[in-house]
Amino acid sequence: MFGAVALAAVSLLAAQTVLVALAAALRPRSSIYVTIVGVALLTAPAVPFTDQLFFGRVLPFDGRAFLVLIHLALGGFLFQFMTLPDRSVTLRILVELELAPGRTLSFAELTERYGVRTMIVSRLEQLARGRFLTMTADGALTLLPRGVRFGRFVTSGRQLFRISSAN
Amino acid sequence: MIRLAVPLASVSVFFLLSLATVRVFQPRDPKRFFFLYGVGLLAASAFVLTWAWPLRETTDALGLVACLLLQALACLTLWNAFYSLLWGFSGSMMHDIYNVTALRDRDRLVRSYHGDQPRDRILARRLPNLAGGGWVQVQDESLRLTPKGRVLALGTLAAFKVFSLGMGGGVK
Repeated sequence: MFGAVALAAVSLLAAQTVLVALAAALRPRSSIYVTIVGVALLTAPAVPFTDQLFFGRVLPFDGRAFLVLIHLALGGFLFQFMTLPDRSVTLRILVELELAPGRTLSFAELTERYGVRTMIVSRLEQLARGRFLTMTADGALTLLPRGVRFGRFVTSGRQLFRISSAN
Repeated sequence: MIRLAVPLASVSVFFLLSLATVRVFQPRDPKRFFFLYGVGLLAASAFVLTWAWPLRETTDALGLVACLLLQALACLTLWNAFYSLLWGFSGSMMHDIYNVTALRDRDRLVRSYHGDQPRDRILARRLPNLAGGGWVQVQDESLRLTPKGRVLALGTLAAFKVFSLGMGGGVK
């Protein structure tokens, strides 16, 4: 019983992963997260009909609904997994070292390739594209209503968890 | 579908335990606690689910797997949100911009990350974990990738290529 369930789960995850990779290759400038959510939602209606393929029979409503939930949860894991290579500063540092001659970099060389200025300017540009703030050519930042709400949320969350350190 | 109440309850407990732990103990590395709570609550949910809905048919097995996957995903999402929005670089930066008017300037914001230390605060926070975890070797003024770190770096590079992520690291 669990063998068939495991096979179904692995197949559903593999299918979503392949579709996301294909969609990302076709539209490399689009958000990978939108792509993942889109693939998961667009393929979900087809999932109930895979019951005969995986279990050799038509499942009752609950069985099919659980199959769809498994599919969506696996899409969620793919989404979460993607934040690691896409956003992680630590992984990017390891990649810069891998690409460096002798897999070694001085701190100055690392800063030149992937330094604080690069990180901050890139994230500010992303926040500007997301309409959280505006940034003028000379670097002046103005929070937009969405940015104010986000700032308030982050500040409240940090107070709730009593986080005082800066990372 | 009523069995979905079990992961919902577990996720609520996970949030409350994590909140209490970070608030009261202020651990340097909260993810160790998050992992412990996540795994413990998955085991507890599996026990409750199989007790209330014994595994008789395929639907029961699908229900169990769906509930545990959803629970694990919700815990991971809370964990990730904590690190990316509240504890990590992006959250800290937004916190600074929102609360410190003087930092609403790109160059002053960049300078605030340098401080008086020889390393900027982003690298200074990550270097001990990278070296302590055996991912890199620190020699004098340089960093060298270890074989263990290479495995992770190559896996990350593969993900960059497969999912067309550019060079990752939050840089577009």
